[in-house]
Formats: sequence, C-alpha cells, structure tokens
Amino acid sequence: MIFCGIDIGSNTSKAVLLKNNHIISTALISGISNPSASAEKVFSAVLEKRDLKRHDISCVCATGYGRYEIIIADINKSEISCHGAGAFFSNSTIRTIIDIGGQDCKIICVDERGFVDDFVMNDKCAAGTGRSLEIMAQTLGLSVSELGYIAMKSSKSLPVSNKCSIFMELDVMQHLLNGEKTAQIARGITITTARRIAQLAGKLELRNNICISGGVSKNPAVCRDIQDILKLKLTKLNHDPQLMGAIGAAIFARNKEIVS
Amino acid sequence: MPILEEFRKVILNPSEFLSPGKSIGYMCNYVPEELIHAAGFTPVRLNAVESEGTSRGDMYFSTGNCSFPRRVLDKGLSGAYGFLDGIVFMNGCDHNRRLYDNWNYAQIQTPWTYLLFVPHSKTDASLNQYINELQKLINHIESIYKLKLSEQKIRDSIKLYQRKRNLLRNVSSFRGIKLSGTDFLMVMIATTVLPPDIACEKLDELIVELKNAPQIEKNLRVLVTGNCVEEIEHFEIIENIGANIVYDNICLGSRYFDRDISMEEEPVIALAEGYLRSPSCPRIMNDTEKRIELIKEAVKKYQVDAVIIEKLEFCSMMTGEGWIMSQEFRKEETPFLLLTRELYGGGKSQIRTRIQAFYEKVKNLK
Repeated sequence: MIFCGIDIGSNTSKAVLLKNNHIISTALISGISNPSASAEKVFSAVLEKRDLKRHDISCVCATGYGRYEIIIADINKSEISCHGAGAFFSNSTIRTIIDIGGQDCKIICVDERGFVDDFVMNDKCAAGTGRSLEIMAQTLGLSVSELGYIAMKSSKSLPVSNKCSIFMELDVMQHLLNGEKTAQIARGITITTARRIAQLAGKLELRNNICISGGVSKNPAVCRDIQDILKLKLTKLNHDPQLMGAIGAAIFARNKEIVS
Repeated sequence: MPILEEFRKVILNPSEFLSPGKSIGYMCNYVPEELIHAAGFTPVRLNAVESEGTSRGDMYFSTGNCSFPRRVLDKGLSGAYGFLDGIVFMNGCDHNRRLYDNWNYAQIQTPWTYLLFVPHSKTDASLNQYINELQKLINHIESIYKLKLSEQKIRDSIKLYQRKRNLLRNVSSFRGIKLSGTDFLMVMIATTVLPPDIACEKLDELIVELKNAPQIEKNLRVLVTGNCVEEIEHFEIIENIGANIVYDNICLGSRYFDRDISMEEEPVIALAEGYLRSPSCPRIMNDTEKRIELIKEAVKKYQVDAVIIEKLEFCSMMTGEGWIMSQEFRKEETPFLLLTRELYGGGKSQIRTRIQAFYEKVKNLK
C-alpha cells in the first residue's frame, strides 16, 4: 500500500509518498494560490514522478496551515505532530525538533516512539520566521538563500531588533542608510533570528538529539547561529529537512490505515 | 434544538428582547443583578459580542490595554448600548475600571453611570466594605429613580436569580453529554442579557429539549479557565477539532452560576456574602490557592482529560494566575495549554494548530 502526506505551508507545498516504510517519491512547489489548488498540484506532481494514479494511494493525510481545506485528504494532523513524526522517521535518535517555517516557528519534543510529548510555538509576531527573513532579504536586495551565504562570510554583526519584524526592518534600513556592510547586516539578521528561537527554546527542556526542520533549515547562517547561541550541536536528518511535515503526514496516513 | 436558535437571536439583537427604558447595564460578576432587578430594571451584562473592532475604543485606551474593555468601549461608541438607561461599572481590574472613566470622557449617551467599588480580597473587613458599597449603590439607584428598594423587593429578586442560577447549573450538567460547551456559552451570554423571568422560561424549555436530545459525539473532555472569555467562534474551534468542553472556570460560566444567596439573612448582607464568598476570579488577590483547588476538584469530578488556560493579552491578573496554575497542573500531571490571545484577535489558523497539536499530545500521553 502507498500512503501520501501533503504539507501545505505558507510559502511552499510539499508531498511525500511512503511505501513499505520507504519514501518513494517527493515533490515541492512554491508560489501558493490557495490551499486546495496547491494540494492538487503537489499531489499530481508527486504521483507523476512514479507514474502513479490517485486510486493507487490508500490514504492521504494533510498538514500545514491549509490542512482543513484539502478535499483530497482523508485525514489531517497538526504540523507539530507531523514534523515530530517526520524527523523521528528520518533519524530515530532525534528527540527535539526546531521547526522554522514560513509563518511560525516551533520547538517540538518527541518520545521514544516519535510522538509529541511537549511543544512551544511562537504566538506573538513573525520575527524569527521564514517570512521575516524574506522581508529582511528583500530590504537588502537579496534572495533568502543569498542572505544566508553572505551572512556566513561575516564574523562581525550589526545589532538588529528581535522584538518584531517591522522593528527589524527599520534597523536594517538604518544600517543601509549609514552605509554599513551588507554582510554584517545580514549576520545581524541571522543572529537576531537565532536569538528569537533561543527565547522560545527557553520555555522547554531541550533533549538530545536536536535537529532543525522547515524551510529556514536551509539557511546555513541561521543554523550556525542557533548552534552558537543555544550552545548545541544540531544532528543531521537523513532526508530533506523541508519535507519533515509531509513525511510525518505520510506516516499518520499509514498509521490510520493500520488502525482501521 | 429550536430553543438554541432563540438564544442565538438574543445575542445578535439584545435590545429587541428588552423593554425600552427599562434596562441597566453592568460589568462583571461582582455587581449584584438582584439590586438592579429589584428597582424594576433588567440588568444587562456588557459584553464585546458583535463588536466591530477597537479603532474607536483605541482613541481612549492604549493598545497595551486588555482587548475586552477596548472592545466594550468601541461598542459603546458605536451606539450599540444606546438602549441602556444607566450602567453600573466596576473595578474588576484596572483596565475595566478605566472603562468607566473613558465611557464618561467620551460622553457616550448613557443617562447615568456609576462605579461600584468591590474589594480585591476575601476577608471580614472586605465583606463589611462590600456591604457598605452595595448600600451606596442602593442609595444611588433610589435617588435617581425616586423609589425605595424594600427588603421584600430585594428578596423577591434574590429568589428569582437563585432560580436562574439553579437552572443554569442544571443545563451545565448536560455539557459533554447532550450539549456542547459552545452552545452553553451562547446560553450564558443570552441569559445574562434577557429579563430573568424570560431567561428562566427559556431555560426550562431548554432542559425539556435536552432531556429528549440525542447524545453528542464523545471526544476529549476539556475544561476551560480564564477571565473574560466570551467568543463563541473560539469555543467552536476548541470543540470542532475534537473535544467537548465539559466544564469551565470562567466569568460567563461556573463563576456566575456556582453561587448561592441565603434567603434567611438580611438581603444586602446575604448578597455581599454570596457574591464575595462564591468561587472567585483572579481579581480577588488572596484566593488563588482555593481557585486552583476548585479547578483540580472539577478535573476529577468531570473526568477532564485536559485544561485550556485562556489568558487575554495584557491581563495582569491572569499572567500571575496562569503561571501558578501551570506549575500546579504540571505537578498534578494534568495536561494543560496556556493560550495567550486578544479577544476576537484573529490568528485562527495558528490557534487551531496549537490546540490540535495539544490534543494530539494529550492522546499520545494516554
């Protein structure tokens, strides 16, 4: 039997097919119109890669902010449970997941079964999320990936507020007006993002091993700064960290089928 | 159930169900409705239901104030409370107390307003003070309307309101069995606006309908605690994801109806004792331990799986209370979720994710 997990995030949509406990196909698309259309598109993409049809799939589980609007899904699960299950599937030594997505960030602790036993989520503003990094990169005239690589080149950083995205942007603009070096501003942004995550992490007892998932996991500077500030070593996942939500959803699709 | 539709209509258009010039507004649970009713008026609890935002209210309040009084003021500025003959405000907390100042400063067309001072503690001295304050309120009402609030009139109102509270207790016992917590909240909002005799009639009808109603789907059993929680849409989110709110510890819930007023004592003393000594809200500073004990007892009695602690942003009362509760629930190994939000503050998908993940976590722990 083949199971599908679909993760409709705020910036990208991801889908994963699971068969005999192995990932057999993955798809990632960006440029979201509406949750249902994005789900259709990413579902078709993941099936096409293995020349499969919809009726070949036994169960579809949706996750992500658009999970309730996806008609093709049989069940839905929160992205917190899915990132936990996905990361545990990818590396069973993982007990803490730092998930930095487009519109929120979460820290998730899982037990020895990969089930969530504690979590915290940002509840006040966008600072420390992928969207915030995008805005800062735009202000610097860079893409998000460029921001990460440029920040890696600088050992010095300029102060950037971590109170809210608007204040962050104001600080970045002020530094630009002062003629400061882009790399130092970029480093200031990634350090601020990492500090925001550290604030959230303070609310939970982090358990080893710790990994990072979500789109921001691909930003090397943020990952480095998180390790430095939280004084920890991130453990590598065996799959694309951006796919953890979709992998977890596929696992819940499989579990549902087993239970029923 | 058809009767629930009637309650919904009351919430949408309360003034349609009230006699013109015969309604007096009040804030919070510590204003004895009995005194307003004994004067021949319907006490109408002020709420932010159907408020349109805070833009008007924010001219007078800062955005660093609680969203409840900001929304109530906004509603007042929109003219939604133009049907009231007067309002008894109260020093529930500093934000709500400030509502009285801003209401007057903004010159909202209310014939009269009054600030009832209610002590912030449960002691013999504060009880005496509360009795004095209730007497001052009686004097105020008597002088405005040139009438006498006789002991008999107050006793009659106490009897009627006791009947209403008993009926609400009865209806509450159907929660998680035949009635959702969302519908119960709707009943609470409607019956704190309706004239008490009509509220009792409708509650009687509801109980008959509930007895014949089918059982609702069994889900996680949740208790909600907090202060000014009154959003039907928010309760729908809590329940629709997979839970039944089987009990609460909020102002528009058990804190309102879990109160008995003695018919034996002199009525003003009976009211003061009943109101001050009944289950308190976090504005009463020396009662935290007892409040948390009450919730712990309710968790056992109603076989609660999880507790949701609702804290409105900038609520200084619930900031301390929420933290203490969290420590206590952690010790007891009672799963809890502390939700900090603004009243009608949006962010539905984020809140839904947190609640759903919490339920999934609770199920994992079982």
